[in-house]
Amino acid sequence: MIWTVMQTSWRRLKNNRSELFLTFIVPIVFFSIFAVIFGSRDSASSTPKIKIAISDTSGAALSERAVKLLEEQKSLRVSENSRSHGASKEGASGASTVSRSAAEDLVRRGMVSAAIVFEKSELADSANGLPKIEIMTDSFDQVASQVLAAIVQKAVMTANGELLKEKSDKFVQANAPIPANASMVKSSLPMNLVRTADFNANADASGASSSSLSQPPTIDVVDVIGGKKTNPVVAMYAAGIAVMFLLFSATTASGSLLEERENSTLDRLLCSRLTMDQLLLGKWAYLTVIGSIQMALMFTWGAIVFGIDLLHHLDGFVALTLVTAGAAASFALMLAALCTSRMQLGWVSTIVILSMSALGGSMVPRYLMSETIQKAGLLTFNAWALEGYNKLFWRELPLADLKLELAVLLGCGFLFIVAARLFAVRWERS
Amino acid sequence: MTLSLDSIPQPPSGALTLETPALAVVDLWKAYGNNQALQGTSFVLNQGERLALLGPNGAGKTTLIRSMCGRVRPDRGQVFLLGKSIRDPDVLLQMGVIPQDLAIYADLTAKQNLECFGQLHGLRSRKLKERVAWALKWIGLEDRANELTKGFSGGMKRRVNIACGVLHRPRILLLDEPTVGVDPQSRQRIFDMLDELNEEGTSIVLTTHHLDEAETRSDRIVIVDHGKVVAEGTIDHLIESTIGTQRQVTIQASGLLVAAPPGLEWDSEKGRFVCWVDNVADELPGILERIQKVGGVVLDLEVHQPNLHDVFLHLTGKELRE
Repeated sequence: MIWTVMQTSWRRLKNNRSELFLTFIVPIVFFSIFAVIFGSRDSASSTPKIKIAISDTSGAALSERAVKLLEEQKSLRVSENSRSHGASKEGASGASTVSRSAAEDLVRRGMVSAAIVFEKSELADSANGLPKIEIMTDSFDQVASQVLAAIVQKAVMTANGELLKEKSDKFVQANAPIPANASMVKSSLPMNLVRTADFNANADASGASSSSLSQPPTIDVVDVIGGKKTNPVVAMYAAGIAVMFLLFSATTASGSLLEERENSTLDRLLCSRLTMDQLLLGKWAYLTVIGSIQMALMFTWGAIVFGIDLLHHLDGFVALTLVTAGAAASFALMLAALCTSRMQLGWVSTIVILSMSALGGSMVPRYLMSETIQKAGLLTFNAWALEGYNKLFWRELPLADLKLELAVLLGCGFLFIVAARLFAVRWERS
Repeated sequence: MTLSLDSIPQPPSGALTLETPALAVVDLWKAYGNNQALQGTSFVLNQGERLALLGPNGAGKTTLIRSMCGRVRPDRGQVFLLGKSIRDPDVLLQMGVIPQDLAIYADLTAKQNLECFGQLHGLRSRKLKERVAWALKWIGLEDRANELTKGFSGGMKRRVNIACGVLHRPRILLLDEPTVGVDPQSRQRIFDMLDELNEEGTSIVLTTHHLDEAETRSDRIVIVDHGKVVAEGTIDHLIESTIGTQRQVTIQASGLLVAAPPGLEWDSEKGRFVCWVDNVADELPGILERIQKVGGVVLDLEVHQPNLHDVFLHLTGKELRE
């Protein structure tokens, strides 16, 4: 009996291609997609670089040298925007730095993950030529701030070592003949210069090179965005979850189109005054309204329970939610019009939405992905929606700063609904 | 069976006359790849007429029905509704379509379904309310108007399905197997409803697999096979023009019959004598006498009146459900 049950179950599975595909092929497809998205971080060529801005108003040689070293760092990328965003001076190394306020603005707008600020120190450190060092971070990227502190510390110590070495070389050349035994000169130098003489100037800051200061420099890390928030993490993840579920609910609801086709209701509908244009637009409007309500409920709950500041960003939230829900509705209808049955829509939408959500940052922040995947993520409208919500709730930017995201989402919505209409032509008249 | 555009009575300057066919299908051709579904199908449905459309599976009935309601664009030929091409905007609103499937929303109540399809057919406010109330009464579901249709029996769902297609008072009603999977009582109820509509002037095209429905519930029959109309007319006309009106008499006899009685044939398959008669009352006594004369004793006798099934089998070589 048990064998008969097993045999019948297997035969049913074998006769159902969709189920067979879902059981054995879809997991492999998912694994491959996720492996490509997250696994590619191991590749050195595509490891994400930390995007930074640098502000150096200290006028110190040490900071100038440190900036040069930071620019040479493979793990950092000094933002191109900093060159057009209030560039303050051209350093000796050719580095472009910005003013402190401009650097902070870049961080606030999310154009860089952090900013490094070198200023004249009013404390005791200035006597040693050390500027005041501050890292302005955006705790949205929780990895960058921690890594950057170590890198800056290293760069400053290396710069200091280089400067000391240059001084010691000059000192030796100017004040003493080259001794037969160099070790005797070495022993006559102060301790920190001895260390400098041993320093490998070409050492990679990320490697295990020696330090050039007896004490590491003091670096202040200031969270310029998340620091003031009561519950910063919620603002980051609310949008990600909301957009992903918006897509799932929209595609499920769009399945009604296929249901209507399967049971001949579509024939009956199209024999009435209703046209296919009106049918699709009606469903789009319905899905947009339902999606907007869904998002509003989620963020209202987030505001009440988790302290998301919805009230002060209402205009941006309404605009962004409407275009996001509209784009999700268009996308869902496009998938429905593309598929031939509700079962097919089920598995196609699951694969596509989970992939888009992973790529677009709904599951894991995009800054953790490789640069290539981050760029690929921009092809999903999730990424643009999330960026919009992050600008709004995390960076607290006004509606005017969401123009790009709103335009992209509107464009996506339009393209998807046009595609849905084209796919639906086959249902109008066979 | 051919019908040309010129042979269809056209209303002068668009005015509708009694001679204008309710529906005219003129030389329809449609192919799906190499499969020629329709090959010059033509027929007419007169105003106030009930027409049964019959054909074996694969005869092209579905394509024909879909062409008639504008859901299939034929490769050639035209369909006219009350003298106007179905390509004419709004002309389709003169037609009510009842699909074979239950094309209603299972998660809406009977009333909500009626309201939805009423609105889609242009009914609004008071008119809509009146028609929905009429429909609920017509289908006998007034007391269950606010229940979800998914909880209804098959027959009740069928009735709601039909009501959704007639709310807007169509002049022509197209029913694709409206009684599939319905018990005899509900079938009777459905046909009573359709008769009511027909009495009010609605012309009806009915496709069915029940030959008795076609015989008793239609004024005329059109038989389609291989994408063409192979016969059309009243049941009497069809019988007369195909297999003739003679009754078949089958006789089982015993005794020492040395030869077949005069005028009777031996059907070895049935193991009986068979003959054809024009008038049973006049001819049957003579037949029985001839059997007795050759020493036979009649054990059983059967008189079969030619019917639509015989016509259908004769024309298509297939049973209706094949």
